[in-house]
Amino acid sequence: MYRFFLFLKRIGYVFLFIVIEVLAFRYYSDSSGYSQARMLSISNSLTGGVYSAFADVRQYFYLGSENKKLTEEVANLRGELAKYEEYGRFFPELKLPDSLAVYEYGTAKVVNNSINRAENFMILNKGINHGIRPNSAVVSDGAVAGYVMESNNKFSIAMSILNTKFKTSGKIKGDNNSSGSVFWDAKKYDEVVFSEVPKYADIKIGDTVVTTEFSSRFPEGINIGTVKSFELINGTYYEARVELLARMGALNNMVLIYYTDMDDKQELEDSYR
Amino acid sequence: MLRFIEYSILFIVVAFLQIFLFNNLHVGYFMNPFIYLAFIILLPVDLSDYKLLLLGLFTGVMMDVFMGTPGINVMATVFVAFLRPALIRLFLLKDEVDEGGVPNLHKLGIVKFLNYSFLMVFLHCTTFFMLESMSFAGFGYTLLKILVNTASTLIAVYFIQLIFLFKRSKAL
Repeated sequence: MYRFFLFLKRIGYVFLFIVIEVLAFRYYSDSSGYSQARMLSISNSLTGGVYSAFADVRQYFYLGSENKKLTEEVANLRGELAKYEEYGRFFPELKLPDSLAVYEYGTAKVVNNSINRAENFMILNKGINHGIRPNSAVVSDGAVAGYVMESNNKFSIAMSILNTKFKTSGKIKGDNNSSGSVFWDAKKYDEVVFSEVPKYADIKIGDTVVTTEFSSRFPEGINIGTVKSFELINGTYYEARVELLARMGALNNMVLIYYTDMDDKQELEDSYR
Repeated sequence: MLRFIEYSILFIVVAFLQIFLFNNLHVGYFMNPFIYLAFIILLPVDLSDYKLLLLGLFTGVMMDVFMGTPGINVMATVFVAFLRPALIRLFLLKDEVDEGGVPNLHKLGIVKFLNYSFLMVFLHCTTFFMLESMSFAGFGYTLLKILVNTASTLIAVYFIQLIFLFKRSKAL
């Protein structure tokens, strides 16, 4: 009888193991970027403060170069603005109403970022209290870095472009017939894949890949990266390896872009499905 | 009781190191040492199998929550916790197992300890990275990830057990 109970105990132990593994596997197969982001958001309520402290210390090392970059960007933007002001002088009746603002811009700092897993996320130091909303694009130095998935009051979790669940559409700058999909294959942290590009597209090494107008998260024309190599697959489409322009290992200050009609678009899409 | 406190401290130290240090090391393309495995590796030899499984589950869930991985940590850690009793029996004689103690360098000797840790870490990393790459990166990259991370985790575990050993011998 005692032997039988010992046997049951051993079986029970194996059984418990199998139950745990099956449950974990179910959770794993049911998970989406959203559930992961929500989980990170919850755990971040504990760790966010610490990450912010570390990020504050780290940013002192970047102050010099950030300053230089910002000054250059201000100079470029002032140049662009001067151009439009010139045009405005020829058509004084044309005054753009504020309601035409299609995109809202904001800034945030990355307090924690991972690049070494298959599914990487960024933690930003602004949340709902600062007006950051899910589906805001996250852009670093004019290059795509990801988009916000989940926000709580103080922090936001963004899916990094270095995430196997990230997908957007891209095209060769200047060639509107070259749209393809951009995704990451978990190989290198500075390269993404630009695939399903039509074979009549004019693609060469060094070309810049930018976002298209098909994505509601990213405005058109934001840099993604430069073509490093490409090959023709099955004689039907090109697949290129694109070197990211955003330096994912040293992310600091980011620009957040939110498409103001996102809620309406999302509602329409959801009701259609 | 003292043992419980010691292990709690170990868990907290290892969890903090994992979450705040090792998860953010941007060294190489995919190095992510799993120092929290040191907790499972260094659990007492005489701990019941059930408790081992449950501790593995607890550690895995904690790490999943903080890393944002969807259950991969739980699956890998519980798998290794399940196999641990069998692995221990490979390296220790029955009476050594019964007398309890911590399976560290001091008790096992360097060769056995390295073999034991290597097996634990290797099995964990293999499970982890194979699950992670279900649909992507070819087998070559996955294998490379497994090897690099096994090596780095092993080194991290070795250093943790050096510190832990230090604490233990002080208590003696």
